Amino acid sequence: MKKQVLNCTVNDEAVEVLVKPYTTLLDALREDLGLTGPKEGCGTGDCGACTIHLDGKPVASCLMLAMQARGRSVRTIEGLAKTGTLHPLQDAFVRHGVPQCGFCIPGVLMAAAAVLAENPKPTEQEIRYGIAGNLCRCTGYTKMLTAITEAAGAAARREG
Amino acid sequence: MRRFDLAVPQSVDDCLKVLAGNPSGAKLLAGGTDLLPQMKNGLLKPAWVVDLSGVAELRTLRTADGGGLRIGAAVTARELELDKRVTGRYAAVAESGALVGSVQVRNLATVGGNLCNAAPSADMAPPLIALDAVAVIAGPKGRRRVPLAEFFTGARRTVLGADELLVELVVPDPGARSGGQYLRHTPRRELDIAVVGVASQLTLADGKCAKARIALAAVAPTPVRATAAERALEGQAVTPELIERAAGLAVDAAKPIADQRGSVEFRRHLTRVLTRRTLTTALARASA
Amino acid sequence: MAVMKTTRDIKGVGDPIPRADGREKVTGAVQYVADIQPRGLLHAKLLRSPHAHARLVRIDTSKAKALAGVRAVITAKDMPQLKKKAPTRAHAVLAIDRVVFAGQPVAAVAADELAIAEEALDLIEVEYQVLPVAVDPLKAMQPGAPPVAEAGTEADTSEALAHSAVALASSETKSAKAVNISQQATVKRGDVAKGFAEADHVLERTYRVPMVHQGYLEPHAVLAQWDTVGNLTLWASTQGSFNTRSEVADVLEIPENRIKVIPVECGGGFGGKIRALCEPITAELARVTNRPVRYVMTRKEELEAGMPAPQVIIKLRTGVKRDGTLLAIEADTVLDTGAFSGTVLAVSAVFLGSMYKWPAFEIRGMEVLTHKPSVAAYRAPAAPQTIFAIESHMTQIARDLGLDPIEFRMRHLIQEGDPMVNNQPWQSNGAKQVLAKVAEHPLWKGRKEWAASGGKEGRGLRGTGFALGGWLGGLQPTSATVRLNPDGSLNVLTGQVDIAGTNISLAQIAATAFGVDFDQVKITTGDTDTAPLTGLSAGSKTIYTVGSAVLKAAEDARRQTLEIAAKEMEASIHDLEIRDNKVVVKGAPDKSVTLASIGKKGNLYMSKVPPVLGTATPAFSQQAPGFCAQIARVEVDPDTGETTLHDFVVIQDVGKAINPLGVEGQMQGGAVQSLGFAMTEGLMFDDNGRLMNPSLLDYRKLTAADLPNIETIIVEVPSPSGPFGARGVGEPPIVPAPAAIANAVEDAAGVRITELPVTPERIALARAAQGTGAS
Repeated sequence: MKKQVLNCTVNDEAVEVLVKPYTTLLDALREDLGLTGPKEGCGTGDCGACTIHLDGKPVASCLMLAMQARGRSVRTIEGLAKTGTLHPLQDAFVRHGVPQCGFCIPGVLMAAAAVLAENPKPTEQEIRYGIAGNLCRCTGYTKMLTAITEAAGAAARREG
Repeated sequence: MRRFDLAVPQSVDDCLKVLAGNPSGAKLLAGGTDLLPQMKNGLLKPAWVVDLSGVAELRTLRTADGGGLRIGAAVTARELELDKRVTGRYAAVAESGALVGSVQVRNLATVGGNLCNAAPSADMAPPLIALDAVAVIAGPKGRRRVPLAEFFTGARRTVLGADELLVELVVPDPGARSGGQYLRHTPRRELDIAVVGVASQLTLADGKCAKARIALAAVAPTPVRATAAERALEGQAVTPELIERAAGLAVDAAKPIADQRGSVEFRRHLTRVLTRRTLTTALARASA
Repeated sequence: MAVMKTTRDIKGVGDPIPRADGREKVTGAVQYVADIQPRGLLHAKLLRSPHAHARLVRIDTSKAKALAGVRAVITAKDMPQLKKKAPTRAHAVLAIDRVVFAGQPVAAVAADELAIAEEALDLIEVEYQVLPVAVDPLKAMQPGAPPVAEAGTEADTSEALAHSAVALASSETKSAKAVNISQQATVKRGDVAKGFAEADHVLERTYRVPMVHQGYLEPHAVLAQWDTVGNLTLWASTQGSFNTRSEVADVLEIPENRIKVIPVECGGGFGGKIRALCEPITAELARVTNRPVRYVMTRKEELEAGMPAPQVIIKLRTGVKRDGTLLAIEADTVLDTGAFSGTVLAVSAVFLGSMYKWPAFEIRGMEVLTHKPSVAAYRAPAAPQTIFAIESHMTQIARDLGLDPIEFRMRHLIQEGDPMVNNQPWQSNGAKQVLAKVAEHPLWKGRKEWAASGGKEGRGLRGTGFALGGWLGGLQPTSATVRLNPDGSLNVLTGQVDIAGTNISLAQIAATAFGVDFDQVKITTGDTDTAPLTGLSAGSKTIYTVGSAVLKAAEDARRQTLEIAAKEMEASIHDLEIRDNKVVVKGAPDKSVTLASIGKKGNLYMSKVPPVLGTATPAFSQQAPGFCAQIARVEVDPDTGETTLHDFVVIQDVGKAINPLGVEGQMQGGAVQSLGFAMTEGLMFDDNGRLMNPSLLDYRKLTAADLPNIETIIVEVPSPSGPFGARGVGEPPIVPAPAAIANAVEDAAGVRITELPVTPERIALARAAQGTGAS
């Protein structure tokens, strides 16, 4: 069970790291690269807390082996905005008081960012289904919807 | 998860070599959405895992020569959900892809994984069976073709040998006068597993049903076709009364068990309701 | 408690201020236990029993110990502190000679890697002698049922005190006769038989609610490390660091001041992270390996062997006159507590018998042990289950008699000062005001039009329902300090675990009470070595009790500050106020001294001015109940029973919204948790006591796609004793939805569902059974 070399891009930086063949991508990010923003809430893809972007698409990083990311581009919550700045979604989440316990929030933000990347003017239903893979036990999702809708509007205005 | 070694082949032939070298059984990893949870829960403890993500052939979705679709085994549920070649004439397949898990699961989950995992509730099986899809299987002696309706041999069992690999699904073009739908019942809208799933595909000719296919999920150890219901429809003008009769016959094809997702009684009830609804939609789509 | 009067608008109490650590939470920077990785970290795993009831014949750990990378394997034999009559789940660290639920830990491993620890579990050989099980509480309570506890084990009633401050002290409490009945209490008053004899309408129904899991997204996690002189540090995901310290000290038999509990960011608790669960075993693994050891439960372990809410079965019978006059109520409540005692029996009796004025009542309650995971608190323990029964019942009575369900309730609501079933007086609350808001809400006023619009043009059956519920509020002594800094800013210190954002509200209270803007205040949650004793984040009492402590400590600090300023300016303290970070003489704004100068003198070499440190250590006796009504507008698929929730409204009396953002968050989140209870959630056990749905795929919490936006209506009926009139906010919103949904579904689809969750299957099969559904 020799370690293998994983070459990929993480948050826009080229990364070369030795990983165990049985390490999940989530564990590699958290333990080998110190990116603990993505969380493990279930380990079986049923809660969304580990959501990251793989080549721009949202995936459950607990359901991938680290080596499956070879040659691909990974983005975590730590890379959603440039260091020291907030993505419009993050800013809206703070202002609307979305986070309570906060454990789901990195995954929700990555799912929401994927919704907006695919469709800058999503309907309420598109947002709801876009984050339906992310369980939250604290907020009841209402403030998330408000914040995402507002952030989408702001982004659309900027581009329009 | 317990420790294992990982092979990362780049071609189907490389895969077959790894499988041949591990007679005790290596597990093939495509999307991982079924395999990894089973390994994490200790239900599977393979010594070797073969990652298929480097095999380009498996990821290809293309139009077949002479019509029809060829869907690589590692094409994701999300691709089937969104690809215009699928959403048009193969709507039921796209609908089944759209229902799997959540978007972050659908970006990983593959059609081959859904079929090879062979859960009775697999969503992608009924619409592909209803479209007479054929599985292309690679093995040490070359490739063989198995109608998908004959692919499943039991709950979590298929015709695949330990040294074989599902390469692609070949789906014949149902034609312009054909329509289909896949519906399932789940308590939640997303992140759920079918309590019952039904795919219906109707092909019309001269105002009558030329061909009918009804396939059911989660009502038997394997996906099943409701052949008596299909026969009742074929050659007839499809009326609401006939659809109701076919829905009743579909219930007879269902041999459900009771489990944490539903009782026998409810599953039979749902089989009737969903067969009625999918046939109604299939008729409308075929007529459009 | 006095409300501070300030002479100008201060940014503090009442303002919707985002939490100070919001940025940490949205960037992924905030650290939970599993994010902490000290050097030399070992990973723990527990071997859990696959059987719900079995004798441990033999355990052989030798092969596991021989596996490279395994640092320790321990069983109960290695822990002489463990005793057979474990009074609580926390004490049952490892099974000694018998397992009493599937998932009970039998052995523990610490290894270099999690994968190696898992392989070590596979190598532990355990021989079980499988014993008969008691799974159904109604069977478990019969004489001759397989026993769960060791004979002579005491019932655990501490939950009742922690959460509700409700006791049945005045009621008759019998010692149990049958082997698995661990608590038993009856409350009665008046002539019940006469009441039923005079009744025109008698309604009897049995309501059932399965065990449900709190569902916090972060599984239980703890990191333990010992220093070389025998002090233990625990980084814990807990709702109360001092409670965790006490329990761990008790179980491991070490002095409390040898343990430092650091309450790391808690990824949700909802009552499930009050009691110790995996802390003692992790501490023991750290001790024997002399390494830091981390244990994080898997989601499967959480569901199979967490501490869920009890299964509740309530047989309810009422007698009323044709005009709706209440005569008598009779109830038998069974709370299935799993393998260890720990339910709040009293809450169920109080809500069944006390919300409405029943002249005669007899309510019998029993706590029953079964071979299932033992329970703990879950947000308003026993209230949602009980309110489901009584509020389904009240609506059904009104419907049967042709009465308006709101007027019917209004007429009979218990009044302030009336005795509850336990003879404690009913405290002032806003139940009436909340009900009045239901009556005037457009969803309720438009319910007939909504119903009439259903069932045609492809629409489903449409209906509207509501229910009223509440929580009496928990109490616990607590403490806080407020320090004036040399630059005039304030530090507030408590041990309060901030899960939902309560620290910003506490900062607002301190700011308003002291007389500065909230951004002058930094609040810190200290660990058990540094923080003053602080109660649990539970019982809807953080703002009510810790807020009171912070208020008093800030007032104390203000008084000290003014005294120093009075001396300096030779003014009377009564003529001073704090304004713009200065102490000024009222009416003479040029006469002032800055807060910074006062603060500086408290830390100046050779200064004679004492530092300002406000302290408060209050205890409490008066509760402030919070009531909540919820309205649901639904559409039911006539064939499949699928229920679409179109609108949902939460109307809640919060006394005073210290921070409306946080209050709305509690109302919305509580409502959705309540809707999970109502519509999709339930732990399902087979006849052998094994969990059938140990994943979040089959244990269905509601997703964003299942829900509408939750409308919130804040009602403020000030409590006489809370800070600025605040009441408990956290628990009331989880209470009413099950009854509101059952009532709405009944209105829409004509079937009364008495078992939660109200699933499509139950609706469709009930309709089929009464001939209204499509076959």
